[in-house]
Amino acid sequence: MKKEVVDKEGKMSEKRKDELLIDHNHDGIDRRGFLKCMAWAGTGALCVMQGGVLKSYSLSRMSELGPKAAGELNFVQISDSHMGFNKAANPDVVGTLKAAIDKINGLAMPPEFMLHTGDISHLSKPEEFDTVDQILKGASAKDVFFVPGEHDMLDDNGQQYLERYGKNAKGAGWYSFDKKGVHFIGLVNVLNLKAGGLGTLGQEQLEWMKADVKHLKHSTPIVLFAHIPLWSVYPEWGWGTEDSAQALAYLKKFGSVTVLNGHIHQTMQKVEGNVTFHTAASTAFPQPQPGKADSPGPMKVPAEQLKSILGITDVNYVRGQHALGVVDSSLA
Amino acid sequence: MRRSVSTAVLLVVLGLGTAGLGAGTGDFSASAQQKPETTEVKIDNFSFGPGTLTVPVGTTVTWTNRDDIPHTIVSTEGAFKSKVLDTDEKFSFTFSKAGSYPYFCSIHPKMTGRVVVQ
Repeated sequence: MKKEVVDKEGKMSEKRKDELLIDHNHDGIDRRGFLKCMAWAGTGALCVMQGGVLKSYSLSRMSELGPKAAGELNFVQISDSHMGFNKAANPDVVGTLKAAIDKINGLAMPPEFMLHTGDISHLSKPEEFDTVDQILKGASAKDVFFVPGEHDMLDDNGQQYLERYGKNAKGAGWYSFDKKGVHFIGLVNVLNLKAGGLGTLGQEQLEWMKADVKHLKHSTPIVLFAHIPLWSVYPEWGWGTEDSAQALAYLKKFGSVTVLNGHIHQTMQKVEGNVTFHTAASTAFPQPQPGKADSPGPMKVPAEQLKSILGITDVNYVRGQHALGVVDSSLA
Repeated sequence: MRRSVSTAVLLVVLGLGTAGLGAGTGDFSASAQQKPETTEVKIDNFSFGPGTLTVPVGTTVTWTNRDDIPHTIVSTEGAFKSKVLDTDEKFSFTFSKAGSYPYFCSIHPKMTGRVVVQ
């Protein structure tokens, strides 16, 4: 396979724009190079860190990856189903969630389980949760791990959510589990929000997390997932978490940390040190790019374009590699 | 009790209707001292309008959510708290004491507003 090395100026040849190979300098990471790995709604990218070198492939070239894309663990992230939403931006959120499940069932490598990063429902109504549960039963992957979005904990402080999805969780719904050597941590950052503030984890949850990772080996790959981004995407719209820096500080000793979020209804990636941040598309409706509209409300696009900017995220862990491969697929 | 509440709500609604229809007809002249200029706060594009509302004691303020996304009206100091308001749903609160009442949307806490009661 042809490779194009991106130099320190972040330049690369025009004809090979869909692949980056970034030399990992002794002085750290080429930020400008990593920016090219940022994927907006409507596009897709696979990022794999191999031996300190980050590669990014567009979805259109996935077929060239072949066995390289195979790994020990394969799972899918879906997010922001907003069941019950029926406005112009998408009058058929049932249909698009079903399309997402069809897409998952059609993946070449069947995922072992799914993560749902919140806003399962639009208004926390029992029938909305019921509908999602019913649709998810149609997925080939039977296990689904949830974290709540703010739309799942309306009016009752999360009581219904916890009864449905948090039976084995701690506190307001946080928990951890292990799959094939990868340690997963699901966090809740949508409760007890303060006026003027961002998402919040809170001291009790942070202390739990600190203890949760204390015994783990430094070589253990970590996947941290929560609804609101755990990095500052656009604080003006509330797209960030007040105390996420504290949570990430507990993970400094680990060589591979992947952070998966939803909430912003578009895909975005950032790499900082040992941490790869990723937000997933919604299965329901798109939201505008940060600052590109008066508000972060639902974005109406022509009906024929809608499925191209909704999607799922396929995550692939290959043992011995530093980061997990993350692939965004549209529903189109 | 129930009857008096619904009557009060009806009066407020009628009052708003009259104010809207009768703008510029001199409707306010007779009781300008008692009638507040605005008793309605509209939610558009994830913001409260007006952001700061000044009203006399006894005013009932009605918030209307005109976004495609649900919002809440929650007093920062615990004076009032709405249920979640879906599109076009309303919440009303009567301010019987003078003071400054900051509030926010507990779902989107960047949305803040204030009612000043004089």
